[in-house]
Amino acid sequence: MATISLRNVRKSFGTVEVVKGVSFEVANGDFAVLVGPSGCGKSTLLRMIAGLESITDGDLLIDGKRINDVPPDQRGIAMVFQSYALYPHMTVAENIGFSLDLKKIPKADIAREVGRVAELLQLSSLLDRRPAALSGGQRQRVAIGRAIIKQPRVILFDEPLSNLDASLRVQMRAELQKLHQELKPTIIYVTHDQVEAMTMASKIVVLNQGEVAQWNAPIELYRHPESTFVATFIGSPRMNIIAGRLDAGPRFVGTGWSAPLLGQNLDGSVGQPVSLGIRPEDIRLVDSSTDADFDATVVIVERLGAETYLNVQQGSDSLLVRLAGDMVARPGDVVHLKMDHQAFHLFDTQNRAIPG
Amino acid sequence: MVIRKFSRAQATSYGFLFLLTIFCLLPFLWVFLASVDPNARQFLQLPQGLTETHFVKIFTTENGGRWFFNSLVVVGCATAVVVVVGGLGGYALSRTNAWWKRPFLYAIILVRVLPPTALIVPLYKVMLTANNVMRGFVQSIVPADWVRPTMQIVGFVDGYLGLILVMAALQLPLALWIIKTFFDLVPKDYEEAAIMDGANVFQRIRRILVPLALPGLGAAALLTFIAAWGDFLMPLTFISSAELQLLPIGLFRAFLRVNDVDYGFLCALALLYTLPAIIAFSYSRRFLVQTFAGGVKG
Repeated sequence: MATISLRNVRKSFGTVEVVKGVSFEVANGDFAVLVGPSGCGKSTLLRMIAGLESITDGDLLIDGKRINDVPPDQRGIAMVFQSYALYPHMTVAENIGFSLDLKKIPKADIAREVGRVAELLQLSSLLDRRPAALSGGQRQRVAIGRAIIKQPRVILFDEPLSNLDASLRVQMRAELQKLHQELKPTIIYVTHDQVEAMTMASKIVVLNQGEVAQWNAPIELYRHPESTFVATFIGSPRMNIIAGRLDAGPRFVGTGWSAPLLGQNLDGSVGQPVSLGIRPEDIRLVDSSTDADFDATVVIVERLGAETYLNVQQGSDSLLVRLAGDMVARPGDVVHLKMDHQAFHLFDTQNRAIPG
Repeated sequence: MVIRKFSRAQATSYGFLFLLTIFCLLPFLWVFLASVDPNARQFLQLPQGLTETHFVKIFTTENGGRWFFNSLVVVGCATAVVVVVGGLGGYALSRTNAWWKRPFLYAIILVRVLPPTALIVPLYKVMLTANNVMRGFVQSIVPADWVRPTMQIVGFVDGYLGLILVMAALQLPLALWIIKTFFDLVPKDYEEAAIMDGANVFQRIRRILVPLALPGLGAAALLTFIAAWGDFLMPLTFISSAELQLLPIGLFRAFLRVNDVDYGFLCALALLYTLPAIIAFSYSRRFLVQTFAGGVKG
């Protein structure tokens, strides 16, 4: 258990800079999730924390001590690989106990520790098996067992659920959270899946093109995104972004419609082009055009059972609306849409949030 | 009861295959029968009785035991050199992204493509020069009457070391290719997991890489052993002392003896000569079929 700080950490491969000055902190016992689209540098960053990649510039600290040049095995860090990387020629017990065996710990002590970890992860009946004879979820648990037996200060996870099927992923998500609550380790977890990030994290670091876009608690990111990137990346389905401009009032003016901006003092910016962000769940259907902010044409209807997504066209903007499951609409229908004016997010031309 | 009937075409093809099989097996049968036949001749015949005299002759009147020992030492050491150098080199070639990787891999295959016979004269010249240097060195550190026995071990011409290195060099390219290709299939994740588990470089090699690469190393060792065991030209060129002679050369010279070709002895020697190759093959099969799976997600 430990606190981790990254201060302006950089990584270059040749002339290509893939991590461009990343700073954030993970508190003791935090479940921090690094999330971002593929190629954003999140896995590289994790490998730098592990010590598998060198750090080109900046400082990496554990409990206030700079560990840039400390070898991986002396950092007190364990890692669960995306591929699991279980040693195929060893049994489950040998896999889990390998790090202790390398430390020349007596066989009896290793067996006791392995037994304890196996019990925790419900692997006790599988200890004599080889990885090839395990299911995906069991391999995942062995990989976790191999990490926690070292009693590391920090456990790193590199997209551990990405190769599991959907139902198993949900189950493993719950197991990981349970494990975190029981053992309270500091966890840094990399994923491209914002649902995983939202459900498990106590802190999310959103990465984009090698830079931290924003880091905070999940619900804070959801409520107060600082950029259109974070706004559209966090939350499913993604936030709608509508181009327009500011008018006196203040009002947001879209193509053929406008809406008041509540509680915002934007007098200085009147006439500026801005973007309006509105989440699909903050738009609803109303019966008549007079109550509506605007009318739109339904393009696609996705009925998921519990809810229905309408993909609608308004002018040149394509919007997603999230409605109750019993909503009936057909492509081509004209619908009247009303937005929750309290739920607006405004962004400037640099895609930065305009504080309200 | 249903009697399965062969069509005429099937019967013909099976009959043909049967004849072909017999034709292929006859030499082996002759070698085996002649080796125990007191009156072995140049052609296939049923033995009048059974005798072990030909085998006894190998180890008593002839120096066959020594030839066999020489072959085992030279070929065994060459195989060991190839497995160690090929293992380390194959790993390096698999993991590097250097610009010279492709050119290098194709260049070493050239060593295999060119017939060794074509290069035997310059090769001999190089080895002779190296041998002279080595002799000078040996003479400076051991007493005069120890020079010859020492040179029989570390000499580059008419010594074990030279022949071992030449044979290993000839087999190394193929071994490098096999092992490199094999390591390409061993994900880097295993090594990184071992690094995170605290394994140093020697522990990673011994506990992770060697077990995972065993089928590749086994295949390379088997092919090296069999090729080197069957090599004739190199032992003929580089060994001149009778006591350092390798088994195939002993066999060949026994066949060349004027008016004194003992076919029973020849066949017993030939049988002895095939033995290690067969043993090596049956042993290595265990490695070759052993596959590891399931450590990483497909």
